[in-house]
Amino acid sequence: MISTLLFFGFSILAVAGALGLVLLRHPMNGAMSFIITLISLAGLYALLSAKLIFAIQLIVYAGAIMSLILFIIMFLNIGEKDLPDESGRWLYFIGGAVVITPLAMFLLKVIGRVPGGDAQIVGNGFGSVKGVGSVLFQEWLLPFEVVSILLLVALVGAVVLAGKREDRA
Amino acid sequence: MIVNYLSLSVILFCLGLLGVISRRNVFTVFMSIELMLNAANLMFVAVARLHESMDGHVLALMVMAVAAAEAALALAVVILLHKHKGNLDTNVFSLLRG
Repeated sequence: MISTLLFFGFSILAVAGALGLVLLRHPMNGAMSFIITLISLAGLYALLSAKLIFAIQLIVYAGAIMSLILFIIMFLNIGEKDLPDESGRWLYFIGGAVVITPLAMFLLKVIGRVPGGDAQIVGNGFGSVKGVGSVLFQEWLLPFEVVSILLLVALVGAVVLAGKREDRA
Repeated sequence: MIVNYLSLSVILFCLGLLGVISRRNVFTVFMSIELMLNAANLMFVAVARLHESMDGHVLALMVMAVAAAEAALALAVVILLHKHKGNLDTNVFSLLRG
């Protein structure tokens, strides 16, 4: 099955990118491997026949948000001297893994019991722009408008914070 | 089949959690939070496919909008922190104590 092969390829790439994000020291290397994770997640959305989410994941996440993060990392011109001292991080990794592993085992056990986890035939318009848009504008109209207010507030807040004058600070 | 997607989502979420609690670099902590949001998105879309309902896709869109707003604000805070303190350590955030 080609879809099973694609799923395992994308999931291996996603986990490898996430491991690179968590383990690499310099934030630029971490951001680059996080982009791999985002693009392979877009591939997984396409496998789940979520066509609109696939496009938006590529455009908004892998395009806009990550280029903003990369721009800020380059803007601050981070060198080795700017990085915090993380000499004891392996200890934290091992301790964190010990704490998180029971949580992960519990969650995996819970989702193993989800009924009907088999492949289904889905309709032709499932996940298309038209389908998602009609659900969005019929049943989720108020949350959609609230999101626009949230984006406006974030925009104004970012301008106020980052454009602060030194004499007022 | 769907269970594989949900398992991958749990694995990515726990990796993001590990990154948040074990790193001290502000950028890495921030991108780990984004990784956790992405894992939640994957869970939404997989469950939407399972139930053949498109509400999960709309929720994933909302999460992406919240992530974009969070990115704008968090990066502004990081620039301010770098301007005032000159480094990127999360321990510097102790200046937020009252």
